[in-house]
Amino acid sequence: MKIDIHAHTKKCKSGDAPTREITPEDFCETLMATDVGIIAITNHNVFDREQYKDIQGRIGEDAQVWPGIELDVLEDGVRGHLLVIVSPNGVDEFSKAVDEFTKTSTPDNFTTSIDQLIENFDSFKPLYVAHYKQKTPNLSDDVLVKLTSETLNPGRVIKEVTNSISAGIYISHGHPSIYGSDIHDWSTYKEQAHDLPDLRLPVESFEHFCLLLEKDPTTINTILDKKIGEDLLLTPFEDATCIKLKVFNDINIVFGPKGTGKSCILEAIAKHYSDNGMEANVYVPASDRLDDIFDIKGRDLSLNLNPLGINYCKDEIEALREASEANVTSFSQYVTYFRTKTTNKNAKKIKLKDIEPEDEGAAKRGFDDFHEATEKTDEFLVFLKEHSAIGKELSDTELSELTNKMSDLLKRLRKREWDNYSSWKEIGLLNSAIAKLRTEVERKTGSPAKPTTTGFREYALNRTKIEMNAAAIMKSVDTEIPMLKEAVGSLGTDKGLLELGTEFRFQNGTISDGSLDKLKSIKKNSQKTFARTVRKIHKHANKNDLFKHITDLNAIEDVERIETVYELLLFKRYFALDGPYSPSSGEASMVMLNKELEADKEVYILDEPERSLDNEYINDVIVPLIKERARAGKKIFISTHDANIAVRTLPYSSVYRCHGPGGYSTHIGNPFSNNLVNPDDEADRLDWKKVSMRTLEGGEKAFGERGKIYGNN
Amino acid sequence: MARKHLESEVKFMETIKATVTEHDDMHFITIDTGETDKISIPISEDKPNEVKSAFNKLITLIKDREFQIGLEEVGPDLFSQVANEYITQLNREIQEVREEMKVYGLVGD
Repeated sequence: MKIDIHAHTKKCKSGDAPTREITPEDFCETLMATDVGIIAITNHNVFDREQYKDIQGRIGEDAQVWPGIELDVLEDGVRGHLLVIVSPNGVDEFSKAVDEFTKTSTPDNFTTSIDQLIENFDSFKPLYVAHYKQKTPNLSDDVLVKLTSETLNPGRVIKEVTNSISAGIYISHGHPSIYGSDIHDWSTYKEQAHDLPDLRLPVESFEHFCLLLEKDPTTINTILDKKIGEDLLLTPFEDATCIKLKVFNDINIVFGPKGTGKSCILEAIAKHYSDNGMEANVYVPASDRLDDIFDIKGRDLSLNLNPLGINYCKDEIEALREASEANVTSFSQYVTYFRTKTTNKNAKKIKLKDIEPEDEGAAKRGFDDFHEATEKTDEFLVFLKEHSAIGKELSDTELSELTNKMSDLLKRLRKREWDNYSSWKEIGLLNSAIAKLRTEVERKTGSPAKPTTTGFREYALNRTKIEMNAAAIMKSVDTEIPMLKEAVGSLGTDKGLLELGTEFRFQNGTISDGSLDKLKSIKKNSQKTFARTVRKIHKHANKNDLFKHITDLNAIEDVERIETVYELLLFKRYFALDGPYSPSSGEASMVMLNKELEADKEVYILDEPERSLDNEYINDVIVPLIKERARAGKKIFISTHDANIAVRTLPYSSVYRCHGPGGYSTHIGNPFSNNLVNPDDEADRLDWKKVSMRTLEGGEKAFGERGKIYGNN
Repeated sequence: MARKHLESEVKFMETIKATVTEHDDMHFITIDTGETDKISIPISEDKPNEVKSAFNKLITLIKDREFQIGLEEVGPDLFSQVANEYITQLNREIQEVREEMKVYGLVGD
């Protein structure tokens, strides 16, 4: 949820842009299109009670709208702006006070002193937000000192700066700071709202916000108690020292100087969750392992050819390897038959033996057709009966009509199936009888029987099958497999997404690309020879030397291990941006951390994830990812030396490890209370902010440098 | 339309001429496919490889066109009788093979 402590709804001063005007209806619609959950209406020297009420009535519980005003403060002849924001509970009195205070002026010429301001509004216990430094017209430090000393609620005086970077710098230097939209053109508000401050803790009301601002311990503890958390009792060190940590389903930071046992604590946390059956392991950056993690050498790479519509050709390859020539009928049988044509009277009577055999193949094909149609129709009827969606879509009558039609069709198909089966078997029986009788006549009379076939049919069909098997294998190995792409991780806004590309190709007999590796442990030469030989077999299917190539196929080294076309696969795997790309060690660290955070887990444990990474990547990619996981209620533990992670994530729990004269110690706290407390000695308290800035890389030094740039010395 | 349809269904199957030839006391069935290389099948002795070679040519021919073999000048001599019987059986088997090939999509209509 975001907060906007500075919004205008009206053009009050002559210098105000007309685009500051917005109707209550449009105001609510615009606000609902953003993540802003709290907004303060602070028009120039004016508070419009009716408009405020209208807005509040429309927006209801969907957002908090706080009443306020932006006043022109004149002190020592210098004018600056100050927002006075009050509780919605006192809106009527506040409105009266504003009207009374401004009744003799116009918004353009109204000014107030700090004394007058305190006199008129301090009883409302308001939030004072002063324009500061680059946010002009600003109030000087002297004027702010005066305001802070005169108000009864000095903890509610904060400084309004121009953006999040300035706010971070001023906060680090002890200035409570915030920034708002100060909207000039409502048509740009949705876009502007992206940059408004996020509220790390849930804020229930104006009063609640003020208590959090004042770091009221009870308020902070109440919020933390509502957050899902648990106490971990760990023994991370060899000396069996126990430490008790209060951790949350959110961001938990472990920080401190090197060599104070932070990694041991993470290991102990991982063990705790693993022992409780949760997947938990410590992520340690190791850029040199990127190739292994993404299996760039393809050791565990596999590919399912079925979804790609590619036939593995197991049967076809087996059939080719086992193929043998069909014999033809020798002519001597015909010659002998005609030379010794029977004169046996009884043999002559057996006419059946002289009938020519009939073609069984056609009859069988006829049967196969009807058999398949019968089976499919039968299956469809079962499907109609059993599938719930059909029952939901069709009425009983419609379903009955359809079932009847299909049943009728099935009955007719069954009859035809049976007729064809009978014909097929009749021919089979006839042919069998002819062959048997011829053999018997030959045996009884000594006269050779007339051959029933030239052998052409079996010979031709055998060759045809060989040709078809070879064609099926060639079709598979000639299929192009689309390149597989897998997102590896972002290399930042400039370079974009690093991908893992995997190219698969079948060795079809023509590939000589040395960068392609074999997927299975079949020699590349064997793969190539195999594919080439299959092509020759196909080409020579009706040639005299066909079986020479079949013999060649069986002579290939390791041929018995080529059971399917899968064994002919080659692959190339590489990282890619627009084309192949070798990520640097820093980039490897980026994508590995990205991958770790994008994995769907309940517990993330990161040991110094910032190693080898630049601040820009940590800020733009890693910190948002960590926050996203935290919002999803995941447990995140990070050991870090980086201020961007330890501070910018605003962890619910910070564990500080240090080593002093008394040995090692642990302090636990959070940025909201700004405390780090030693659980063994409640009086041993440290300032979270100061410790963070002192301990973390990019803490004090980085903020100090930026402070100078922004004029804060 | 019906008449036209009927006419279009009438197909005349091509008949390829075959003869029994004799050369050096050897008898052959010689099939003239119309191409330079005639198909020759030795029938007076068993030479299976030459028969297979002839069959290979016939398979190639079957893929190209539908045909039957017609033996010319069938005499009463032994080899004419053998050739006549052989070609009768071969024609039947050629038709069966062509039908099978049609199912596999290996021949055109």
